Amino acid sequence: MISKRIAAALAGATTVSLLLVACGDNGGGQSSTSGDSVKSLTILDYYNNDPDKSLVQKGLDSCASKLGITIQRETVPGDTLIQKVLQQASSKTLPDVLMLDNPDVQQIAATGALAPLNDMGLNSDGVIQGMVDATSYEGKLYGLAPVTNTIALFYNKDMLAEAGVQPPKTWDELKAAAKKLTKPGRYGIAFNANATYEGSWQFLPAMWTNGGDETDLTSPQVAEALQLWVDLVKSGSASKSVINWTQGDAKDQFAAGKAAMMVNGPWQIPALEKTPNVKWDVVTFPLNKPDQTPVAPLGGEAWTVPLNKDQAKQQKAADFVKCLNSDENELAWAKARFTLPTKTALLDQYAKEVPSMKAFAEQVKTARARTGKLGDKWPDAAKVIYQAIQLALTGKASPQDAFKQASGG
Amino acid sequence: MVTLTRTTVAGRAKSRGRRHRGETLTKVLFVLPAAVAMVALFGYPVVKNLLMSLQDYGLKTFFTGVAPWVGLQNYSTVVTDKLFSDAMVNTALFTIGSISFQFAIGLGLALFFHKKFPLSGLLRSLLLLPWLLPLIVSSATWRSILEQDSGILNRSLMGLHLINDPVPWLNSPSVALIAVIGVNIWIGIPFNVTLLYSGLAEIPDELYEAGQLDGATGWRAFFYITWPNLRSVASVVLMLGVVYTIKVLDIILGLTGGGPANATQTLATQSYEKSFIDFKFGQGAALSNILIALSFLFAIFYLRGTRRAVDE
Amino acid sequence: MMRRTAYTVIGVLILCVMLFPVYWMLNASLQPSGNTLTAGFLPLHPTFSGYRRALDEQGGNLVTSMIIAAGTVVLSLAIATPCAYALSQFRSRWVSVGLLAILISQMIPGIVIANALYTAYERIGLLNSIPGLIVANCSSGIPFAILILRSFMLSLPPSLVEAARVDGAGLFRAFVSIVLPISKNSLITAGLFSFLFSWSDFLFALTLTTKGGVRPVTLGIYQYLGTQVQNWNAVMATAVLSAVPAIVLLIAAQKYIAAGAIGGAVK
Repeated sequence: MISKRIAAALAGATTVSLLLVACGDNGGGQSSTSGDSVKSLTILDYYNNDPDKSLVQKGLDSCASKLGITIQRETVPGDTLIQKVLQQASSKTLPDVLMLDNPDVQQIAATGALAPLNDMGLNSDGVIQGMVDATSYEGKLYGLAPVTNTIALFYNKDMLAEAGVQPPKTWDELKAAAKKLTKPGRYGIAFNANATYEGSWQFLPAMWTNGGDETDLTSPQVAEALQLWVDLVKSGSASKSVINWTQGDAKDQFAAGKAAMMVNGPWQIPALEKTPNVKWDVVTFPLNKPDQTPVAPLGGEAWTVPLNKDQAKQQKAADFVKCLNSDENELAWAKARFTLPTKTALLDQYAKEVPSMKAFAEQVKTARARTGKLGDKWPDAAKVIYQAIQLALTGKASPQDAFKQASGG
Repeated sequence: MVTLTRTTVAGRAKSRGRRHRGETLTKVLFVLPAAVAMVALFGYPVVKNLLMSLQDYGLKTFFTGVAPWVGLQNYSTVVTDKLFSDAMVNTALFTIGSISFQFAIGLGLALFFHKKFPLSGLLRSLLLLPWLLPLIVSSATWRSILEQDSGILNRSLMGLHLINDPVPWLNSPSVALIAVIGVNIWIGIPFNVTLLYSGLAEIPDELYEAGQLDGATGWRAFFYITWPNLRSVASVVLMLGVVYTIKVLDIILGLTGGGPANATQTLATQSYEKSFIDFKFGQGAALSNILIALSFLFAIFYLRGTRRAVDE
Repeated sequence: MMRRTAYTVIGVLILCVMLFPVYWMLNASLQPSGNTLTAGFLPLHPTFSGYRRALDEQGGNLVTSMIIAAGTVVLSLAIATPCAYALSQFRSRWVSVGLLAILISQMIPGIVIANALYTAYERIGLLNSIPGLIVANCSSGIPFAILILRSFMLSLPPSLVEAARVDGAGLFRAFVSIVLPISKNSLITAGLFSFLFSWSDFLFALTLTTKGGVRPVTLGIYQYLGTQVQNWNAVMATAVLSAVPAIVLLIAAQKYIAAGAIGGAVK
């Protein structure tokens, strides 16, 4: 059971998938003249299960044929990706194109393993700021993410109608609704507060929306957000098991009708569609005070180019990443499996075409990257966050003290 | 392995050895493959781990190959970590709790299966199953059984009216360690049963027959015949048990990941976390060296203790 | 007779309690729904879709595991048997050193071994290879086999080999023609356990492969667990399939487990 790196996998909400589209092209695929001698590229990613695996394959194949190359792709389980990257780095066998979960990009870039994309004709024009923050390090762009995702509040339409409850807009409404929706064999809300980065990621909408900040985790705003989690669990509106649940577990509870609401991401939609008797909709995460703006964390994976002695190959890899991030590809990939394009201009059009993604499209515009402020120091803060959540939810510390204790104070 | 304590370097080999002096080489060749394998599979990793624990071996090292020497700094960092003392206590509780119950239950079952009855051999073989299942499978299954709200254990206990509220097996810092120990006991029982049963099987029946004449039956037979004859096997079972249990990692990671609120962190999980989550491989190595050292110290004291007991 | 039947009944009951999680695994593998949240005690509407999926996707991995486990048995026994003989019959101060080394080897966390082997394998090109995994799995097979075999061989009278030697056989020939056949039972026991250790290995499978080519079934299950939560029955079906070799071997070889060889190993 290697790993809390599973966090990275799940928090990044793996399931981007790229249904494609061999011919819908006219964008980004043009190779910028360099090395026609390059005939093939190696690729490493963590979409290791179908349908994602084959959907991604189609997307990659289409760019490969556009560039006139062949690809050798390797997929590993999400939580082992970083380990593989480390192993390959030490043996100098990194792939030509490397997919990384967006919060990992800066950490890997900091080691000097990646090539800056600006030098190779790529830029981040039109990409939502949060994603640019995540994939840049010391002012240079190291990766581009075709699609992104975030988390919001799912609710069971029938259950809310039956209880006469409106989808909550504020924390007070959320607590009241969750309480009213709770009955024997059913919880009002399910979320994930486990001791991994995934637990931290689920906490961020509450923390950021309330004005909390990872640069000062002992602020009252952060404690208030933690109080929300504590209230939901203490009042019995959420299961005590949330401290061990993954986002997948929360989805299972929701799909089985054992939770009336859940905090989760759009990558769960295909699974939810398998249980058609559960009618659901999504709203943005509630606010503490009505004048706040919802701020959620950005998920999704970026494609990067590891440094390569073979300049021609490195350029070809950059061209490949550019192709993956063309407008057409972004939209097609987003539609294929309920993710969101990363370019602001595409978001509105997308929300119109895919109504179930409207709330997520809203959230994404204002969403922030986890590594936006702390850069490669983010994992330390994330660890303090999930440990503080665990301390507070198990009653070992008050929300006010939990962050002090967790940060070693 | 008790032989470790009392291997006598036999002098009587001399006279025989002279006859085949030319065969020393053949004899070496008997041991050489195993010796090479042991050095490669165990010696090399230990040395490498020792070196790593003295270096600042982090994420960057993999890309640049640079790992500066830092002396004992990794050791002082991990020992002063706020979780270190918790991890030590948990490791002790986990090891002692697991071993004592595994041994007691294992001995009980071994005695039971020692009574020959139809199918006893088959049943005893199948009892080994929990030990041999892939650990990821066991821990995933146990997680679903122990789930607080819908796990089958709480559902059954409540159905039988043994409890009124679901027990937060893996969700409460005060219960989680007990649950994890419980699962580890389940996994360890087969090992104990098998070894202890084999020990029982080697006690000659004549001893019991003779004891019967002296009126030693039931409990008396156990105390005067079974236990003294089983002691050497039992002591080895206990020692191996400690050595194996102290380094258990997969089960804890699979069940609780060290949580909730670090209630099930042990030295092994801490070492794993330092290396593979924080990417501080130097500190992770330092922790696993501390783990090996503890295990080694225990074995030395234990062996001395048993040797003294035997000598007396 | 009544009493012995009663013992059998009690024995079966004990087994039921001990093996309940195994049953639960089987139960879950037959449940139609995507998760175990609502599973009852019995799979009232059993479905084999999980098994179909498991065989489809994990069939090849089962074969890989089989090859690796079989290789581990052969290599472990080939290395351990002569050494066990030496440790039981040769008189030397090195005997206790060897035994101490084996004891210490059992204290080393698997992850330490895996880390070191990774670097070494990378240099000699054994990553992602079946031989690489076989060698790694021998780290559990060899010490265990040495202990089991040695304990049996301790009971061999030296005169046995001496007699052959008088007839002019070399030490090695005497070992092959006399010691090996006599040790058949303990060789089977040692081989059995080497097989099962290797079969259930996960750590080496995870750390010593960097790409999809060589993938034992434990790693296959792990990948399922990470990404296929909605196909819980397929995960559990794979788990059941992976337990089958263990069950078959235990039943087929119960005589050898009962032989006392294991208990003797520790004397």
